[in-house]
Amino acid sequence: MIYFDHAATSYPKPNGVAAAVQHWYQNVGVSADRGEGPRTREAASVVQRVRQGIAKMTGHTAERVACNSGATEGLNLALRALLLPGDRVLTTPFEHSSVVRPLLALRDERNLQLDVPTAGASDGATDDALCQAIASQRPKVVVFSHASNVTGAIFDAERICKVAREHDTIAVVDASQTAGYLSLDFGADVVIASGHKAMHGPPGIGFVSVRTGLEMAPQKHGGTGSSAALERHPTQWPQAFEAGTPNTPAIFGLAAAMDWLAEQGEAKLLQQSLQRLAEIEAGLKNLNGFRVFAPGTATRMPVLSFVHANYDPLEIGSVLAANEIHARAGFHCAPWIHEHLNTAASGTVRIAPGPETSHSDVEALLSVLATL
Amino acid sequence: MAPDRYSSQNRYSRQSRVAGIGELGQTKLSNSTVLIVGCGALGTHLADTLARAGVGTLHLVDRDIVEWSNLQRQVLFTEQDAAQELPKAIAARDRLLAINSSIKVIGHTADCSADFLANLPDRPDLVLDGTDNFPTRYLINDWCRQQGIPWIYAGAVGTEGASMVVTKDSACLRCLWPTAPAQSDVGNCETTGIIAPAIAAVTAFQSAEALKLLIGQTPTKGVFTCDVFRGNYSVLPVADRPAEDCVVCAGGTYPALTNEPAQAVTLCGRDAIQIDPPDRPPIDLEALAQQLKDSVEGLARTQHLLRFEVDGCRFTVFPGGRALLFGVHDPLRARALYDRWLA
Repeated sequence: MIYFDHAATSYPKPNGVAAAVQHWYQNVGVSADRGEGPRTREAASVVQRVRQGIAKMTGHTAERVACNSGATEGLNLALRALLLPGDRVLTTPFEHSSVVRPLLALRDERNLQLDVPTAGASDGATDDALCQAIASQRPKVVVFSHASNVTGAIFDAERICKVAREHDTIAVVDASQTAGYLSLDFGADVVIASGHKAMHGPPGIGFVSVRTGLEMAPQKHGGTGSSAALERHPTQWPQAFEAGTPNTPAIFGLAAAMDWLAEQGEAKLLQQSLQRLAEIEAGLKNLNGFRVFAPGTATRMPVLSFVHANYDPLEIGSVLAANEIHARAGFHCAPWIHEHLNTAASGTVRIAPGPETSHSDVEALLSVLATL
Repeated sequence: MAPDRYSSQNRYSRQSRVAGIGELGQTKLSNSTVLIVGCGALGTHLADTLARAGVGTLHLVDRDIVEWSNLQRQVLFTEQDAAQELPKAIAARDRLLAINSSIKVIGHTADCSADFLANLPDRPDLVLDGTDNFPTRYLINDWCRQQGIPWIYAGAVGTEGASMVVTKDSACLRCLWPTAPAQSDVGNCETTGIIAPAIAAVTAFQSAEALKLLIGQTPTKGVFTCDVFRGNYSVLPVADRPAEDCVVCAGGTYPALTNEPAQAVTLCGRDAIQIDPPDRPPIDLEALAQQLKDSVEGLARTQHLLRFEVDGCRFTVFPGGRALLFGVHDPLRARALYDRWLA
């Protein structure tokens, strides 16, 4: 299989990831904060290392990093904790279902005022409209993705967070597409990501990183290992946000992935992926019938979408699959953006290379697309 | 006291008067359970006859809906059923209960799969083949063999039909035909057409044999065949005992019970369903295009795929057997359409 679905999850993972997971199953078997002894201490130290690594990425402190099942859980937590009845919230038309769906559910449940400035969406970015809306509406929360999982456009998180700060708006950033490639230290109040995409960790692990001073109530109550005599769920970070038995094997895997990221260098990995993306884009330019959706900017993420004049995206997905090429066809869990790309009827084909993608992978992809 | 005009004696008086049936035979019918697989032309004819005859419990299974093109031969359905796109098993059940409210009719809108058969609430005394495809017939064959239940094969296309009783002592479908014939060799109602008299002739044989089996009479041996336009009706002799090399009868294996069914997957956000059958032989798109050219609209072929429109659905078929069905939301409906046009 030739793999072009890194925007969904990275594959293959670095060797150390599976080894670390296996090490936990074979030699550790316990979780941090559960029991005494060297195994518990090892688990605690790996968890702590992951928290510190994430804090370094986001510019927050390790105590304020909670590990959970992924970005979906993180976004549900942050939005549920921060948005109270009647609050105003802003977001963008590029959002993933993990932002869109909790927001719509909360809007109905808590009578929120939800606004989605769309000016600029069809040109690839809504930064200006979003910043203007923050300034004029002063919403309680602005939630936005650091980059689009459909077009690869990167949003100016530093600028948006700065405007938010100036207007007492809490900035919540979904960094699922960029964690592992870009710095997440852009001054956000809350940064959320999953560990299995460019971070190269296993599925089932992600994080919520919150700046010191921002109050949030836990949304999931239960066992935490510590404070076990308390009848009520504890409120101190990070245990308050990690109810239930943690996915420690995945945390071990993520720790190994983060070691690998540090060794390789995020910038180098991004540059490798973008090199492949540039080859794909150049190849598509030479073919007839394709319309490509990608930002015209140099700073971008390694993902693009396209449609073809004579084929439904699902048909192209099947043709690629028949040639053992794994890409994606459809709406990519981004329900709003297709209206602005004029792809609401059928969606797009999405190609997302990663650092592991080779030049010959790209040639194989283009040779199949050339036969359409 | 005058006999009650609504009594069961009165209802079945003409039938129980027939030599060999009698009150005892009628009681046996009312204590019987029959599974009819498929509620198309064969299935509705069979169900109509057996419900009127007073078979006590009928299980009907069909995954499809009533369509306008069914009304020409599928006796239980009305224009209203087609307009409402009612599931066949439900429309048939309602009609049968209106015909005979003293029996039990259970309609199952489902694929007749190994899983479905294993979870039937009643053990049938007899299974009747009202299907339009060989994979399901082999499934019925293997399951009935495993369970020791008799079944009656039937098929009809154009002006012709065939039927055969399979009991535990006779040859089974696999004894006679170890593997299913290609659907393209036997034709189907969509491309070859079908007339109601062919159905009536085949189901006359099939339902008479059903009544005989249920009241304990010896079934007819051999394959009934007919061509209602040529006026040919005959019973051809076939091997009347299990074959020594049959994987089911001699080998004790039931291949159709362990086959993985084709997966029907609803595609992300689209009014489309993908069907990707495991282990199916590749499709010759050119041959398929030839076969379909008079029956479908918008036939288009590219290097990679074949597209056509039929039954309100747009098909894209790939050489590996995978198909995308646009304009369909129900996976059962999609599988029914897939089997109808691509089996």
